[in-house]
Amino acid sequence: MTVDLAYKHVDEMRPWSDRTHLLECVAWTPEAPDVMTFTFKADRPGHWFRYMPGQFITLELPVGPEPLLRTYTLSSTPSRPYTVAVTVKAQKNSIGTRWMFENLKPGMKIRAIGPLGDFSYVKHPGEKYLFISAGSGITPMMSMTRDMADRQPDSQISFIHCARSPDDIIFRWELEYLARHLPHFQPGFIVENVGRSQLWSGLRGFIDKAKIALLAPDFLDRTVFCCGPDPFMATVRESLAGAGFDMGRYHEETFQPVAPVAPVVVHEGEEGAPAHKVRFAMAGKEATCEPGFTVLQTARAAGVRIGAACESGLCGTCRVMLLSGEVDMNHNGGILDDEIEEGYILACCSRPKTDIEVEV
Amino acid sequence: MDIRNTVLRQLKNQREGFSLEQPFYIDPDYYRLDLEMIWYRDWLFLGHDCEIPKAGNYFTVQIGDYPVVVVRGRDKLIRAFHNTCRHRGHRVCTQDKGASAKLVCPYHQWTYDLDGSLVFARQMGEDFDKSQFGMKPVHCETVGGYIFICLANEAPDFAPVRATVEPYMAPHRLSEAKVAHKNTIIEKGNWKLVWENNRECYHCAGNHPELCRTYPEAPTATGVQGAADDPFISEHWERCEGAGLPSSFNMHQSGQFRVARMPLIQDAESYTMSGQRAVKRPLSDDVTISHIGTMLLFHYPTTWNHMLGDHAISFRVLPISAEETAVTTTWLVHKDAVEGVDYDLEELTHVWNMTNDQDRSIVEENAFGIRSPAYEPGPYSPDHEGGVMQFVEWYRNFMINRLQGDQAKLAVVA
Repeated sequence: MTVDLAYKHVDEMRPWSDRTHLLECVAWTPEAPDVMTFTFKADRPGHWFRYMPGQFITLELPVGPEPLLRTYTLSSTPSRPYTVAVTVKAQKNSIGTRWMFENLKPGMKIRAIGPLGDFSYVKHPGEKYLFISAGSGITPMMSMTRDMADRQPDSQISFIHCARSPDDIIFRWELEYLARHLPHFQPGFIVENVGRSQLWSGLRGFIDKAKIALLAPDFLDRTVFCCGPDPFMATVRESLAGAGFDMGRYHEETFQPVAPVAPVVVHEGEEGAPAHKVRFAMAGKEATCEPGFTVLQTARAAGVRIGAACESGLCGTCRVMLLSGEVDMNHNGGILDDEIEEGYILACCSRPKTDIEVEV
Repeated sequence: MDIRNTVLRQLKNQREGFSLEQPFYIDPDYYRLDLEMIWYRDWLFLGHDCEIPKAGNYFTVQIGDYPVVVVRGRDKLIRAFHNTCRHRGHRVCTQDKGASAKLVCPYHQWTYDLDGSLVFARQMGEDFDKSQFGMKPVHCETVGGYIFICLANEAPDFAPVRATVEPYMAPHRLSEAKVAHKNTIIEKGNWKLVWENNRECYHCAGNHPELCRTYPEAPTATGVQGAADDPFISEHWERCEGAGLPSSFNMHQSGQFRVARMPLIQDAESYTMSGQRAVKRPLSDDVTISHIGTMLLFHYPTTWNHMLGDHAISFRVLPISAEETAVTTTWLVHKDAVEGVDYDLEELTHVWNMTNDQDRSIVEENAFGIRSPAYEPGPYSPDHEGGVMQFVEWYRNFMINRLQGDQAKLAVVA
């Protein structure tokens, strides 16, 4: 391939599309203990990634017979559009993320859906920003900060990040680097524990109103973006509301499917949780449903077709009759109480609690 | 010449006390004008709130070119929407009635919440703004257990209807009733012929042996004049009003709707062959006396009604074409009344099923005759057909006003 063909300007390239392209892993980078950044390019040359900083992508991980869907916010910035990256933390019981750590290597191609989402300063612009994150909740903040550093380096950003220890601060060195280059970028860290051999001059403990006021004294004037575990975000919300903050300027990222069309989340099973049998009566087939899998995923793995559209318990297209057994259904209003009483379930958001039989 | 001017001229030159000219009953262009001037502008009765008691219950109706869905929301409120998907226009709800957690278009599964807002549309791109593509609302009001909608952009004020009819309907507690039976017949005649036939009992003696066992043929009961001077009727009103049942004849000045409580013949209490109650369980606990007759409610152009002590019957008129009309009859009983125990369905529905079929036959024969080139408008009976004259007068007035109003608008544009 000549340089001529290999080198294309952005305006000569076409956007990557989740419907026709795959992602190809190009790098994995350790960021902190149990935290890794995976970087991807388009699986075919001449494509760029079109998205908003702060958006998420859903990766289809070929863990078992039926792929596992995992949603991550992108840590990369659209201002560097040739690759995308997710920065993921492996929790103790995780299946998908653990699989990525052990299997996802440069050259491997996977399917993805997205990027999607409204959690972006582009959608909720303000004059000044306050980013508050904990753990891997830093990823959308990093994406937005990198984007603003490239596009509008005079943006006013206060950046509060909470971590377990100084070593657990993801992107610490890049944030310090940015602080030296951007005139109005103020990072501040809060850590729970400091090891005896470490030097730490920052704040310790947990987030609260006083620490927010200390790290961002003018927080009342800022537009807030918050991402982290639910209890963390609840504390931030209460702190801000208690200080008289205008919550109309508060935005948070959550992966629980409470909002319509939130990303599909596959609940990871408890370690050692039993697999259940799913019998498809009309198809005359039986399949094993691994812990955390839905009836719909199990049906697909078994080659049983159930019509589905939203796959988030909203549209009700995947309604099926449960003939026996029990499921844990976490729907989004896509089924009536009467229908549930009659024995219907939505396959996309029902996970077997026992062996079950469904009428499809 | 413009059809509107032709119709306006014909209506203005209409001979007083005579039936309408032939094209009003058979011409597709006249029918289209009826849709535009009347059906797309007025409040229309569609059904009962007890037909959709739970969140997610819905029914669908076709009015001229407009498919409409009426649905009860999670907040218990009843709403109506244009039943056409904001994506490619497919009908969202394709069944006559049903129950659904969301309104989901079968074509591409665009998913609307019960309040009409679009909550899911698969892969429409990041710039797609769902808030701009909710189902379009249709004006919707409920009164006394009845659901009315209006397709106009700006609906006429519903307050006068409510003020007039609600006190008369309230004691019957139809919101708490249930549908014992419902059927729809197609009458091969123009919707105005269906109404004209309904608006007089001049034809009853020769055609309705079952109904005439209980329903008085007196024009004072069916028509619009003389009721107060009829001692039998005024005595009935006095007795009912004494028991807390508003009864006297009350018609809105526009002539479009009215209520009155009319006595049945002698000891009759219900529309049965015996005249005795068809339902043991009274329709409403708020009605404390027997022999209350029938509360007649009319609202042009869609509904006439009978509310009795043991049950209620509603009639819904919807045009299908210039020469076809659908008439839906609904029998309502107390929600706790049990079929086979408190009532026999055949006994409950017999009289009006017979009467409806007789009326269908009359309307169809009437339409046959009107198609004759020899047809010319004939005189109504001043004694018996005052109700028909009142209906035609209402039709003329509304059509003339609106055709002239449209002309005024056009003149401004020109």
